[in-house]
Amino acid sequence: MPLVKLVNITKKFGEIIALDNIELSIEDGEYLCVLGQTGAGKTTLLRTIAGLIRPDGGEIFIEGELVNDVPPEERDAVYMFQHFALFPHMNVWDNVSFGPSIKNWDNEQVKTISSEVLEMVRLSDRQDAFPSELSGGMQQRVALARGIASGAKILLLDEPLGALDARLRVDLRRQLRRLVKDQKLTAVHVTHDQEEALMTADRIMVLRKGKVEQVGLPSEIYSSPKSIFVASFVGNANFFEGNVIEMDNSGSTIWIRGDYQIRVSQTDRKVGDKVVVAVKPTDVIINPDSHKGKNVFSGMVDSSTFVGGSMKYKVIVGDGMVIFSEALVSNIQELPRPGQEVTVSFHPARCCLFEYPEAGLLKEIEAI
Amino acid sequence: MGFGSKRTVSLSSFIIWCTLAAFFVLVLLPTFYLISYVFLRWPEVNREVFANPIIGDENWNQILKVLFFTFRLSLSATLFDLLFGIPLAYVLARKKFPGKSLVEDVVTLPLVIPTSGFGFATLVTWTTASGIGGVFGSSSGAISLDTLIPFINVQALLFIVHVALTFPYVVRTVETKIQSIDPTFETASRTLGASSFTTFRKVLVPLMIPGVFSGAVLAFARSLGETGATIIVSGVSSTASIAIVRWTAEFKLATASFMGSLLVIIAAAIILPVEVYLRRGKRTLRFSSHFPVSLSRQLLRLERFTSGKLARIKDFAPLIVVVVTVIVPIIVVLNSVILFWPADPYTGKLEGGVFYQLFGPANYFNHLLQATLTSIVVALISTYISMCVAIPLAFIIERRWYGSFIRSILKVPMIIPTSSLGLSVLLMWGSSGINLLSTGIWLIILTHIVFSVPVIVESIIPAYEGSDIQTYEDSARTLGATEYNATEKVSIPLVKGGIITGFILSFTRSLGETGATFVVMGRNVTVPALVVNMVEALAIPAALFTSTFLILLALIMLGLIRVATRRR
Amino acid sequence: MPEVKLVNVSKRYGRIKANDGINLTIKDKEYVSVIGPSGCGKTTLIRNIAGIIHPDEGEIFIDEESVSNVPIEDRRIGYVFQNIALFPHMNIWDNITYGPHVRGLPQQQTRPLALEMLDMIKIAARSEAYPHELSGGTQQKTAVARALISDARLLLLDEPLGALDVKVRTELRYELRRLVKDLRLTALHVTHDQEEAMSISDRVVVMKKGRIVEAGTPVSLYTRPQHTFTANFVGEANFLKGIVVETTADTSVVDIGSGVQLRANRGKETVDERVIVVFRPEFAVLDKPIEVNRLSGKVMDVLYSGSIIRVMIKLPNDETIAAKRIASFDKPMYDVSESVTISVSPDNVLVYPYPEEGLKKALALE
Repeated sequence: MPLVKLVNITKKFGEIIALDNIELSIEDGEYLCVLGQTGAGKTTLLRTIAGLIRPDGGEIFIEGELVNDVPPEERDAVYMFQHFALFPHMNVWDNVSFGPSIKNWDNEQVKTISSEVLEMVRLSDRQDAFPSELSGGMQQRVALARGIASGAKILLLDEPLGALDARLRVDLRRQLRRLVKDQKLTAVHVTHDQEEALMTADRIMVLRKGKVEQVGLPSEIYSSPKSIFVASFVGNANFFEGNVIEMDNSGSTIWIRGDYQIRVSQTDRKVGDKVVVAVKPTDVIINPDSHKGKNVFSGMVDSSTFVGGSMKYKVIVGDGMVIFSEALVSNIQELPRPGQEVTVSFHPARCCLFEYPEAGLLKEIEAI
Repeated sequence: MGFGSKRTVSLSSFIIWCTLAAFFVLVLLPTFYLISYVFLRWPEVNREVFANPIIGDENWNQILKVLFFTFRLSLSATLFDLLFGIPLAYVLARKKFPGKSLVEDVVTLPLVIPTSGFGFATLVTWTTASGIGGVFGSSSGAISLDTLIPFINVQALLFIVHVALTFPYVVRTVETKIQSIDPTFETASRTLGASSFTTFRKVLVPLMIPGVFSGAVLAFARSLGETGATIIVSGVSSTASIAIVRWTAEFKLATASFMGSLLVIIAAAIILPVEVYLRRGKRTLRFSSHFPVSLSRQLLRLERFTSGKLARIKDFAPLIVVVVTVIVPIIVVLNSVILFWPADPYTGKLEGGVFYQLFGPANYFNHLLQATLTSIVVALISTYISMCVAIPLAFIIERRWYGSFIRSILKVPMIIPTSSLGLSVLLMWGSSGINLLSTGIWLIILTHIVFSVPVIVESIIPAYEGSDIQTYEDSARTLGATEYNATEKVSIPLVKGGIITGFILSFTRSLGETGATFVVMGRNVTVPALVVNMVEALAIPAALFTSTFLILLALIMLGLIRVATRRR
Repeated sequence: MPEVKLVNVSKRYGRIKANDGINLTIKDKEYVSVIGPSGCGKTTLIRNIAGIIHPDEGEIFIDEESVSNVPIEDRRIGYVFQNIALFPHMNIWDNITYGPHVRGLPQQQTRPLALEMLDMIKIAARSEAYPHELSGGTQQKTAVARALISDARLLLLDEPLGALDVKVRTELRYELRRLVKDLRLTALHVTHDQEEAMSISDRVVVMKKGRIVEAGTPVSLYTRPQHTFTANFVGEANFLKGIVVETTADTSVVDIGSGVQLRANRGKETVDERVIVVFRPEFAVLDKPIEVNRLSGKVMDVLYSGSIIRVMIKLPNDETIAAKRIASFDKPMYDVSESVTISVSPDNVLVYPYPEEGLKKALALE
């Protein structure tokens, strides 16, 4: 039985539909990431699960019980805010023991649990400090400890790493996941950072304008996006507009403007359809070992950008087709340089084929 | 997991209903009773005001005269406040300098000072040889009681007192508003090439307009309703609020109540539209100031020139206003008590000394002790009851959809002249209303509650809004706290500073209130009323001592506010 | 020719030294980023240059001229804020033309400039809109245009992308760089995001506790950092404690415990010195290990982030290291507890003296 189940959840704020018929099941012990842009409805969803917002329509079940009318304090789902919301007038100990003592557990129990969780987040020596005296990372740990101490089974994490430095975030996201798994909790983690979602989640739900765009394993979301939006939002992509000109059992051939042909493994369109092909830059290989096979193009490196650990290349093929490629830097001396002639290739199985969107391609992929 | 199957009747909704009921009976009803009184007894009012068998419509003429005078005074004082108050607010909000907290204290002082004592101090300072006149070697005061300011035809002394008492409302409100404006807007403007004066005019002024409006409204309302100091320095002229006190004393209740309701209606008509505008338009004001190009460039050049050189003057000129109107009178009155302690320093008569008047046959000391006891009892009880209503009310205002509506209504008791308020309470509870109480200490308490509740609420709200209470409370809820628990354990401690400030402000306000008290006190004289009585009885040395006593009390209160707000 | 030079600049806030003897030169038309953890003094640095605050000691030169007595408005800089700071009471047009207007430029001169700017950031159609009606990304582009219209030659960017979504952030950073290069500006960009700094700067300055740790091109900082702190801050790395057992003219051999040895290009280290050996996960070759610097271990965990996989490997000395590889679908995957061998080229192994304050403290991010 799923721990949390949302059926047809809808929420409007005036004219704006923040949540539009959301269906979702979260299994016990699962780490789910909700990924989307600002204004996608992520926070509204989280607050609805917490009971801080009443949905206009639909039903929420926790452990099979309908909780639409159950107040937040009885849902055993703790909400963690981006800026942690540690009570500023209480020290670390009082913050952590807030949940157990407000629930009137006996004194011994409150003490044991609070010291246990403080130990767990390695903050026992700071229990008398006030939140303002702690660094951002420590505050985050106190907030986690406070949630766990309250006996909650579900952690609702609203951009839990958003208030921290970029580099620190990378270290802490792993720790966050490990803590949730070690404590056998269920987590719903909201973020706009696709890399964070890919790195922490068991399953990812992509939200866009209040609607579920795709739910799946991180690898599915990354490698088999169900829409152009997901392809572009998660890990970026090269997009090629074209028409299907040929199709057989092993795949389809797409004709691209500039008279190129791209072979894809998918066969779910018809010959003549206007389509979009998406290829992740990380699937575009520069100077592959073998130059045989499909989708091999020769071109010239136009520019390259070092992003620390990996290199992004803009390659121009023929007189205008632009292909972006991203590769790990494993040998800094042997990198292709701008102006250099290169071969690029991508495997047909790594291409995703989409129907050409009615509103135009740009509408689906523009971020700003 | 087992969710509670039956929901217990929520404790919070019980509290909400009690609070709203108390608010209605104690605060709202008295404020509106005055107007209904005029309607209910229209024939009586008509006979007394418009068609008096003996003097005809003389009373109506009186009312008109008084009203015009009052508005002239309040309007000019408010404009003066704005002129000097805005720069001072800017300096306090944006600059750091040594002694800043002292300046803030001095600016706040008139908010807590009992006005009759302060009025007397000002009187001594400007019109007697012990004051400014004496410093320059004159044997009389610097100005006389009826020196007029040209153009507005208002007594200079009256103007000074009103500026002193209303100034903090402008400075404090605008200062808070400026603090809420992100300073990066100003930095951005500077990096784009604007001088600091240009930045002030083009960026800060449009953004702070709402604050300027609310500050002006508060100052205007305060001036309109000021009684304690006015009654002492007004001389022959009469403002609306003291006219009400006099007419009530002369049992011209119908005239007084008619004038009172006129004052309420006019004040509301001026102030409420501004309130509504400010509340609805969260957007800032959009100016489209189209100066001719050449003029605008001249202005820019001037601003550029002055930004460097005159900035200091702009920074510190307003301070002079505070020093002259607030500090000097306080020093003078303290000094005079010492001078007059054994005997009148000019004539040498023992009877003219403070000591003789206090402990001699007049035995004013006994009066003072009794009045102090009355004042403190009144202040304690009324503040306590007000707290019980105001704290839950502030939370209701912040949390419920009808909250902003209640907050707007709550502005009404704040802008009503207190003497009208006193009259209203007297009419409602007294013999001409439900006849439950006659003049005396209980009526004073009921009156003080009316204006104390808004004072406390308005102190709590900034503390509430400034600390993101909703997030903390949501957090507490998901950690297992009920709404009531979350309020008790999280929200109330977080707004503690605001609650304590509200308590002290309300306590001091009650301690120093004169106008309304005068109307309803009967024989239970409070200290500020005692000062007025002493002045009227020409017991000047005794008045000196009592004023000093009140001012020292205010200073102690101010110190308490400091401690309360700094601890956060 | 805006060349910015800071000589010994210090600024204190109470007992905290926000800037402690900063010496830095930014060359004409250079794009320099300053990175560091929260509270390292990077914002103080940029504010000193803008004239928003004044240094307690030291001097700042713009074009070889000391600016100590030059007010903000006369420094001819464009400043972009993290919180964007478009004037909320003015529409886009008025925001963009604010600079020329307050400098007293005549309208007929301002108009074409503003049109050009609106065109450049592609929002000409929305010039009547108010800031709150636009998305965060568009607002920040407008703010950049506003900063540039008055012919500023020096652009100061104070966490310009911090308030935006990751996706928007990555797109906008390249636009920023292109703009700076097209208009031939000098730029100083402050950020806590090392990836952002690495991907758009000519040079990156790393700060910690009010001081400059080191400065260099992104590639040199990444591959040859001078300090362990930098090695950790600019990207993930494996840190292993060891002792130098052998040195030759151009190589050192470091024992990292349990008889595992790593060969590195020779630095200043001497035999028997306690050292830290550092290499980056992507320099650990998983598929076709070379003959030198082979490390064998057991796979502890395999982590995916899109197309990149991180294999966590436990070495015989009980230390766990990470190795990265592209998740290519025609190569085999790794199973937990499988034995693997990796290799790291000695070129990519860095050796540092063991830090006095301990490794954990030397790497601390906050």
